[in-house]
Amino acid sequence: MRLELGYIPITDIQFGDVSKVENGVLTVDSKTVEALILKDERIVSVKVDIARPGESVRITPVKDVIEPRVKVEGPGGMFPGVISPVDTVGSGRTHVLKGAAVVTTGRIVGFQEGILDMSGIGAKYTPFSQTNNLVLVITPRKGLGSHEHEHAVREAGLKTAVYLGELARDLVPETVEVFESLPFMDGLKKYPDLPRVGYVQMLQSQGLLHDTYVYGVDAKKILPTIMSPTEVMDGAIISGNCVSACDKNPTYVHQNNPIVHDLYARHGKDLNFAAMIITNENVYLADKVRSSDWTAKLCGFLGLDGVIISEEGFGNPDTDLMMNCRKITDRGIKTVVITDEYAGQDGASQSLADAHESADALVTGGNANQVITLPRMDRVIGTEEYVGIIAGGWDQNKHEDGTITVEIQAITGATSEVGFAYLSAR
Amino acid sequence: MLTNNPMVHGHLSSQAVCAVDYRDVSLHELMCIVRDFVHLGHRLLTHPLSGSVKPNETLYKSIGITDQPEAGLCLSSLNIIEHSIQTVERFANIKKPIDSNAKADLQLVDFTLILSALDSFMPGQQTFEALKHPAVSPLDPPAPTRL
Repeated sequence: MRLELGYIPITDIQFGDVSKVENGVLTVDSKTVEALILKDERIVSVKVDIARPGESVRITPVKDVIEPRVKVEGPGGMFPGVISPVDTVGSGRTHVLKGAAVVTTGRIVGFQEGILDMSGIGAKYTPFSQTNNLVLVITPRKGLGSHEHEHAVREAGLKTAVYLGELARDLVPETVEVFESLPFMDGLKKYPDLPRVGYVQMLQSQGLLHDTYVYGVDAKKILPTIMSPTEVMDGAIISGNCVSACDKNPTYVHQNNPIVHDLYARHGKDLNFAAMIITNENVYLADKVRSSDWTAKLCGFLGLDGVIISEEGFGNPDTDLMMNCRKITDRGIKTVVITDEYAGQDGASQSLADAHESADALVTGGNANQVITLPRMDRVIGTEEYVGIIAGGWDQNKHEDGTITVEIQAITGATSEVGFAYLSAR
Repeated sequence: MLTNNPMVHGHLSSQAVCAVDYRDVSLHELMCIVRDFVHLGHRLLTHPLSGSVKPNETLYKSIGITDQPEAGLCLSSLNIIEHSIQTVERFANIKKPIDSNAKADLQLVDFTLILSALDSFMPGQQTFEALKHPAVSPLDPPAPTRL
């Protein structure tokens, strides 16, 4: 599969009478966006807002972040099986409004997650402080169940991203990047001397607020399978995961998975990026056994020499991570696992809830229990009502001077387990 | 189903989905009870750290185990429950009050996580579909009665 990504840089976002992209400025007609979202009878009101890099603005509680993209050549449309009809995406050409994002926020359950500061120290912990954000504050109709509410918010974000992405359809990209995966046997012939490296991406799939969808299918119902990484760039995987702000993968991160990008960058040079395998993280232990068996089997069938495994979430998925690592290693395949840590506020405790000696090469996204004090922001989009009870917050964490103290697990994307974050080691 | 979640107890008992052993105990105490069952020969069916809500941020947990003990100790079950208890104890050092308004939501999330496991265990059962249906409000569970 061969996909061209055409990047249209966005350096500013503003409201206007007509939605358009001109000279790097994304202008949004908020009334059209509101009308689009209010077509959904489950939603009674939406407030469309803007947050730019460097502004004294806090967005909370963040549900999802989505990058506006549009398919301009090749089969299928954006978010197949969810917004567009089911079709295999990942080939042809896709245009990207690089530097823009849609952020959804709203109350779904009474404990909430996700702080996104556009300036101050908190901005250094989230990549989405650097995007020009169109923020949707969504209120559902009274009595709507939590499942339906989450679904409505998720769809509103995706529909808005598709609407904005369409503005890029006829534009000329400033740069174009090409990603190509050869059929497996062709890759083997072309790069006979390079190690065959695969990427196993674990997807959060435990239930309400903990779900991920693949071509519209609930990931907890899938058997591990092979995908072209370019399919994911066209929105084949979307996030319904609203818990664990620091290490969940918002849809934006799936679209821009840095492990995929870095493997492509080295593809044909010092490695052969042979396959991407997706698997799930279910609650039922027999599902974990089945999925990890299947994942290891696929790695064996493909004759991989090395595999990178990325986790999503904490606790229960640590067991999936270790099962995958052990079973793939048992087949004589070298593994590197990527996770994050809950090592206590002093960083001195055991980091993971499961362990195995085969996991002897591990990359961490950071310690989610690390404590940080965030400055007061002039404006809050959403509500700060929940910062005392969100993950990583606590009672009395709002101070008289307007600052708040939280663990970095409260910050959207702070300890990304696919490395879409700023933390690193010195 | 070992649970300290009244919503899980109420719904699963009323639907006779499975045997429910409701305990009015803390999350940590519930996990220790599960460990006792593992030592008696029961196997874990669901992961004790289900969900991303951290152990110091919720009161509720539901854990599925085999209903009959088997000969011998299931070491993988023991490994998982021991690691889970250690994790709960680690988080216990970070004290957090639980907002009383959030209790129903915390019960609901634990309930839906365990429903996803039951869906895998007994796929296609109408019982679970009925429980998910809005006509049965998960926020209004029957009053719990201790087994």
